[in-house]
Amino acid sequence: MKTVYEKYHITVKDAPPKIKLPPKFIVKRYNNCTNVQECTQACIYGVHEASEGGQIAEPIQDLCRGCYMCVLKCPKGAISIGVNPEFERLGNSYFSPDRIRTVYFEAETGRVPVSGAGYTGPFAGQGFDSIWFDFSEIVRPTRDGIHGREYISTSVDLGRRLESLEFDENEELVSNVPKTIEIPIPMIFDAPLSCRTSLNLQLALAKAAARLKTFAIVNAREYSSDFAHYKANLIPRIDSDEIDEFADLVKTSQIVEVEFSDGDIRDQLKKIRATNPSALVSFHFPYDKEAPERADAIAEMGGDIVHIHVDEGVVERNPDIIKNAIRSVHSYLTDKRNRDKITLIFSGGIAEAAHVPKSIILGANAVGVGIVYQIALGCKVCYGTMHSQDCPMNLEDGEIELATQRITNLIGAWRDQLLEVLGGMGLREVRRQTGEVGRAMFYEDLEAKVFGDKE
Amino acid sequence: MMQKQLLFQMPKIKPAPSQYPGSIGKYEVIIDRSKCSMCGVCAEVCPSYIGASTIDYEAYKKPSGYLRLTAPKASCTGPSCKRCVNECPSNALSVKLSPQYIALGDLRWTADLILSTWEQAEVARISKKYEYRIGDSGGGFDKLRFEFELEHKEIYEDDLVDEENRDTSIVLNKRKDGRPETKIPMPVYGADMSFGSVSLNVMLARAKAAEAWNTFTSTGEGGYPDELIQYKNHVITQVATGHFGVNAETIKRTKIIVLKYAQGAKPGLGGHLLADKVTPDVAKIREVVPCISLFSPFPFHNVYSVEDHYRHVQLMEDINPQALISVKVSTPTDVDMVAIGSYYAGAHILQIDGGYGGTGAAPDIAKKNIAMPVEYALPIVHNYLVREGVRDEITIMASGGIRTAFDVAKAIALGADGAVIGTAELVALGCKRCENCERGKGCPSGIATTDPALKYFIDIDWGSQRIINLYSSWKGQWSHILRKLNLENIRELRPNDEVKFRKGRFNHMVHLDHLRR
Repeated sequence: MKTVYEKYHITVKDAPPKIKLPPKFIVKRYNNCTNVQECTQACIYGVHEASEGGQIAEPIQDLCRGCYMCVLKCPKGAISIGVNPEFERLGNSYFSPDRIRTVYFEAETGRVPVSGAGYTGPFAGQGFDSIWFDFSEIVRPTRDGIHGREYISTSVDLGRRLESLEFDENEELVSNVPKTIEIPIPMIFDAPLSCRTSLNLQLALAKAAARLKTFAIVNAREYSSDFAHYKANLIPRIDSDEIDEFADLVKTSQIVEVEFSDGDIRDQLKKIRATNPSALVSFHFPYDKEAPERADAIAEMGGDIVHIHVDEGVVERNPDIIKNAIRSVHSYLTDKRNRDKITLIFSGGIAEAAHVPKSIILGANAVGVGIVYQIALGCKVCYGTMHSQDCPMNLEDGEIELATQRITNLIGAWRDQLLEVLGGMGLREVRRQTGEVGRAMFYEDLEAKVFGDKE
Repeated sequence: MMQKQLLFQMPKIKPAPSQYPGSIGKYEVIIDRSKCSMCGVCAEVCPSYIGASTIDYEAYKKPSGYLRLTAPKASCTGPSCKRCVNECPSNALSVKLSPQYIALGDLRWTADLILSTWEQAEVARISKKYEYRIGDSGGGFDKLRFEFELEHKEIYEDDLVDEENRDTSIVLNKRKDGRPETKIPMPVYGADMSFGSVSLNVMLARAKAAEAWNTFTSTGEGGYPDELIQYKNHVITQVATGHFGVNAETIKRTKIIVLKYAQGAKPGLGGHLLADKVTPDVAKIREVVPCISLFSPFPFHNVYSVEDHYRHVQLMEDINPQALISVKVSTPTDVDMVAIGSYYAGAHILQIDGGYGGTGAAPDIAKKNIAMPVEYALPIVHNYLVREGVRDEITIMASGGIRTAFDVAKAIALGADGAVIGTAELVALGCKRCENCERGKGCPSGIATTDPALKYFIDIDWGSQRIINLYSSWKGQWSHILRKLNLENIRELRPNDEVKFRKGRFNHMVHLDHLRR
């Protein structure tokens, strides 16, 4: 038992990326410029600076924020600002250029993205974009977590829970309370995409997990002796028929993740418990129609954690799927009265900070952060179609620290944004947010209620 | 009261062109210098002579560059004219969308809306060139139409200002409690923007325009600068959680007090003015130390229940018994409960600030994800108050994402009495929605800034004239809508019964996503 109370804190530090993103705007100065340098006066960001000879220099594209003052103040109409096609080509329809830019900002600074003017995006969208958070107003006072005046807990527990506790006549506890592991943020790192994972990427991830006091999943086949130092924060993922082969790993890990197969779950559980009685066992499988029943079966048979993932490519084509996945599994388990027995983790499609509390509201206990940390390190979301030597995931040894800091910054910024949401909703801890759909508003519901025929 | 209405004169429209030499045009003319014979036919045939002033004949001496011609003052009317392209003997001209136009704006405030608002601010007119009614966000106001809009797809009419002017006035106090009725000649007043988030010149320009239109503007939560006192009959005092610069004197001075419980852009989070913008002037009015970030904590810690809320309203009444009380709330799931609570607490005006509202600085996660859009909240609140039988005793003002005259009319048709306008006024002053209001010197256009030099970009008289022009154009559009709907005044546009869409239709409105036969 700790006697000294320690407040959870994520230390963020500036970590500029190795390769900058292409600028959003392209500023062009045409030859009819007469060097009056009105643009130098107009631009408060320093895009238009005079060179040493007094002649105006080429515009510095990176600094442009698209305010158009140079265009308006140029007496010759010699400047134009346009969208950079290279920026527009970033990512894909789900990991849009603006999302990638936000991730870069968060990974570089660790700060909450703040901007002026109202919201600029679509009215609503699919999946996570069809959900709005509720907040407290007048009644139910809000909390102030972000400025540190009130403590809001973002901790969640991994593991199995009892439905009730039993006591004997002397009021002594007779129930055998299963072990749980508390992590201070409702996020773990999913294993990197299989296309171009590298040892150094895994290492950076493990280091970040250790700093954040959470877990990173690593495929047992890629487990190397370099990870030994971080083993307290690693979850090895093992194929169900290879449990014996990786018995040493099972023995030294706090949590073991088994790739779900048609084999006997009870058997696999028994095998792991025999090797390491205190390890939590997580079952990992992709979302499909049978996922709710499978999760229920795992809860019945004594698994600790169910980890369901949706392929990033599938989310890109159908962003609604992750929302449906979480809702269906959570509701099914609730109906079967098994929901509170296990921990539910969902990964796939987590692209921005708001997706973490939205997943939790839909019914997850925690989320697996996946490809987005790779994007923070420069991943182009090509799913392995680029030449391997160009892949930014091939980290050099000297880049591990930078990568670790960028991942830490990203999660630091996300936690602060989680605090904003929890504070706004008047919640003191993220545990109480799980499945609270009543504290969210859904596009389909509102649309049907207000503009549809529904009463 | 009638007499007062007769006394009100529409403010004069005067052209207020952009004060800059350059412009952002929708179209640009490209001239192929290798083909151009410099005959000048293009300049002759152009209806607005856009060519004449810009084809730089001297430039032809240097054929290595100077390949390009930009349309001046955004006056090229685009492919629908194309006279220069067709008449050019050497086929050297082409017209296309300008890169500026493509990069400008966003889904809610499209480039068309920004440019059209500028046009209205300059000359109080709309033209065929820009879409001036809706944005491109794919929902809410952008999917709602008045039924007559379906019949004639092209409803652009060049000079809506000359429409017969229908009565667009609304009454802010419906309680008949002995306080002034406070009639305003158009169904909008200015939103809360603090000294600190915007410059003093902007506040004064807005206040002057509000005086000319006999409506209101608001101090926001940044104190009441002395320069505003000359407009005190048209300035609302806001009381928010930080109580910056709020005192008995400023509350006594005003005709309307706003109790700000939440702001749509950052509901549940409170306000935040970054240290960069807390200059000595701002600090003095806010009664704080300069160069320190200022938080307006959320919520009011003296209001945790509807009973507390009642006492809060009473407190304001004790200080200024003649002022109307406006309660500004955002849109949680239980916005209808908040509304009825505010009614029983004694509010005269309920301002519903939807989740997509404007701000000087807010976390992006809050702007997008917290609170529902105002398009949903209005019918929900209106219907609830109708069912409770108190709808006609309280004025509902919509805000948060209301950009155009048509948005205002749609909000009224969804159950509001009027709207509160923030961003549109700033766009009239030259805002381009570049989202850089929050840090450093603030706004590069000199609007949302506290920088002592940048603020001179906005001339007070020029700025107020631009806002006056915009509202004149809006009034023309409202009159047009009322004429099309055969309504005498804008108060009749608001439904008396519950808002109930059936097969995508309700009263004069249709929702394109739900429209069925």
